[in-house]
Parts: sequence; structure tokens; C-alpha cells
Amino acid sequence: MGQAGVLRRMPASFSRERNRTTVIGRQNEFEKVAMPHSRSMLRVARRLTFDPATAEDLVQETLLRAWRNFDQFEAGTNARAWLFRILFNAFYAQGRKVRSAPVLVPLQMPGRETEPQSRADHTLLEGAMVTRALDELSAEHRTVLLLAVVEGFTCREMADILSLPIGTVMSRLSRARQALRERIEPASPALHRVRAGGE
Amino acid sequence: MNGEGTMVVGCKEIAELAPLYLSAELDRARSAAFDAHLKSCPACMQELERQAHLDARLREGIMAETLDAVNFDRRVRERIAAEAGKGYWLPLSGLRGRRWALAAVGIGAVLLVVAAGYRGLLGPHVARVYADAALDHRREVIEQQPRHWLVDPAQIAALAETRGVAGSAPLALAGNGYHLERGRLCFLDGRIFLHLVYSNGAAEVSVYLRERGAESLPGRVRETENGRNLRASNPGDEHVASFQTDRLTVVVVTDQPADAALQMARFAATRL
Repeated sequence: MGQAGVLRRMPASFSRERNRTTVIGRQNEFEKVAMPHSRSMLRVARRLTFDPATAEDLVQETLLRAWRNFDQFEAGTNARAWLFRILFNAFYAQGRKVRSAPVLVPLQMPGRETEPQSRADHTLLEGAMVTRALDELSAEHRTVLLLAVVEGFTCREMADILSLPIGTVMSRLSRARQALRERIEPASPALHRVRAGGE
Repeated sequence: MNGEGTMVVGCKEIAELAPLYLSAELDRARSAAFDAHLKSCPACMQELERQAHLDARLREGIMAETLDAVNFDRRVRERIAAEAGKGYWLPLSGLRGRRWALAAVGIGAVLLVVAAGYRGLLGPHVARVYADAALDHRREVIEQQPRHWLVDPAQIAALAETRGVAGSAPLALAGNGYHLERGRLCFLDGRIFLHLVYSNGAAEVSVYLRERGAESLPGRVRETENGRNLRASNPGDEHVASFQTDRLTVVVVTDQPADAALQMARFAATRL
């Protein structure tokens, strides 16, 4: 008897059980393929939205969209790039108003010299300075730096994620690096003194 | 290319190709030419080293920040399990064979016709707004999961204005025994809404506001208030009422008796 014949005779309870098993299998697959990337997406979403709760909502929406369209994902292809593409589509679909930078508090208050005392102090201060400088960049520059430098995407992957020509991604990344450097380097004499003094 | 057939790149090309070099995407020939130039050009080498150093500082700075992904993942898994449990997602690929696929498509088409003929009640896409609102209310208000809320009315007004909602709207809805308690942004059906919570001391009501777009609300019109068509739905234990003005989409959710949501919607319809 062929498979079609078996299926025709299958009781309804068998069919329901089969569907249930399929859904559980998909959930397990989704768990393996998509969920390990939630932390990366949260990291990027935080710097896109400047609000942890909004970032969580954005990533949750991304994962739910991914789940609803999981049958369109080709096993073995780049799941991370697929998820980030969904994330940016969801982000751009929400409009651009939530991306204004927060009010920033200066790390060095006027009249108070905060010279870093140890390597740990220095590392903390340096990290805070560079992330603050990142937050001051335009959303386009912030996006390519996060994807390339922090998340390690290639220019080709970013072109796919952001739906941009690769040449645009390359030039945008170069300008973003330049803009970041311009914000950091003139403002870090204390750091240079520490490095020159052998820490 | 030089006379020996080797690719040569200059300082200008180095600057252009640096992103591909740093992400190791250059092909072998161009990578070799890039390396050769760096060996002979201290200025380009120094520039690239500074760039790589800056990249490392940025990476370390971002990675040092703390993230609570464990609780977040748990909440996402709950949402997915809830959707899977409702049979929202049953892919055709789970039904082997062309006949089964055709049968499923046929059944889907019949259901669409029936749904369309049912006066547009609870269309599957738009009804998700109500389901999401009910779930969000349960999670954020009833279960009180830790979230960052704004409580200062001035800050809530400013937040409303960033979403195209009049800053006066949140406080305009206070009254009728309820006061404005807190506000934040959230996603319903993939769209950002301003989530406002009002309390009368014993119960809390969620009001979701959004600048009206092309979307229309599902559900049967239950009554009309101030020229606005009020709709109602019960996606779970929560009760949802909704309406639209020329400028706003408004969704009210409460876990109180069904009339409480409609009551708040009636009041809101007179104030917005």
C-alpha cells in the first residue's frame, strides 16, 4: 500500500499527533538555529533604540517574525544574517523617531580631573568613552560599526542585511570609523598619558 | 598590474579596500597586493594599525556591558510556545504529499471566504493586535514583569509626542475614577504603540495609543460614542475594546469584567 493510502486511512487523532510532533520538531530546530543569537541582537538593538525595554520588544518581535516564517529559512544558510535582516526590517518599519541619542553625562566633570589610577580604571574609562562616542554617531554609522566590528559580519553580509550595495557599505564603514576616531582621539589625553607612563 | 603580472595597489586603494581587508574578504591576489603595499608604506601600516586598535576598543567596550538574555529568552520561548499551542503556525511542509498540500490550500481558501463574509470580524492579521495587547497587558501589568516605565506625566507626554500622539492625550484620559500611573513604548502586531496604564486604586487598565496609519480595526461595532465606532473582543482572559479617531488608533485592555474595557473606551472616545 502506498503512502497516500496509509494517510487516507489515518485516524484524525494520528493526524493531530503528527502535526503536534511537527510543531515540536520545529520548535526544537528554532531553539538550535535562532535562539543562540538573541544576545547579539539585543546588543545591537540597545544601541539602535537607546532604551533597553524597546530593544527587548524589537528583538522579541524579530524572533516571533522569524518563528512565523521559519519554514522559509533554508537550513544550513546563515541564520544569524537572516535574523539580523528581519531585525532591521522590523526596526525600519517602526519609523526612525526612537533613534535619537540619549542625553549624555560627561565622564569628566568641569574642574575635576579624573585621572585613571589602574589598568582596570583605564579599561573601564576607555570602554565608556568609546561607547559614548559610538552613541553620538548617526544611526547609519552606528549600525555598520556594530555589525562589522562588534558582531563580526562581513561587508557582503551587511550588504545583504541592510539591502545596500556593497560599495555603499564599504564607504559608510570607512566614514563611520573616521567619525568615531575623530570623537575619541582629541578627547583622550588622559588615556594617552596613562599609556605613555607604562600604566 | 606591474610588469611581472603582480597586482599593485596604491595608498588610495588601500583606504578604499581597508574594510574588506579588515573583514578578510579580499581575494588572494588583492590581499597579497595589499600586504605588499603595507610593507613598503609605513604611513598606511600605521593608519591600519590605529584602525584595528580602535576596533578592538569598541568591541571591548560594547562586550563589557551586561545583558539579561536569560530572562529575555524565557519570555520569547513562552510567546513562541503560546503561538505554537494555538496552532498559529502549522507549515504545509509538515504535511507530506501534494494532495495534502492542495487540500490544505483548499481548506484555507474556504476559511478565507467564510471569514471575509463574516463582516470582517476578527481578520487573522489585524486580530493579532488584540491578542498582542492582551498578552502585553498580562505580562506587563498583571504579572508586573520588571520593565522601565516612565511615571512623570511630563516625560510621558514627551514620549507620546515622539510617536505622533498629542502630549496632552495621556492626561486627558485620566478621570472617571482613574489616574495616569505609568507609560512606555511597546510593540503590538509589529507596530509601536504607547502603552499607558491607568489605575483607580483597585484595578488597572491599559490603554494603547498609536498615530493612525492605514490600518483598520477588526471586530463588530458594539456601539457608537461621540461619533466613534467602539469594538470589543475577548482574546483570552482579558477584555479588549477599541476605536479609531481621525488621528489615533486606541486599544483598551483590562482583566476586569467585560464592561470595564468598553467603559474606558467610551470615556476615551469623548476625550480624544
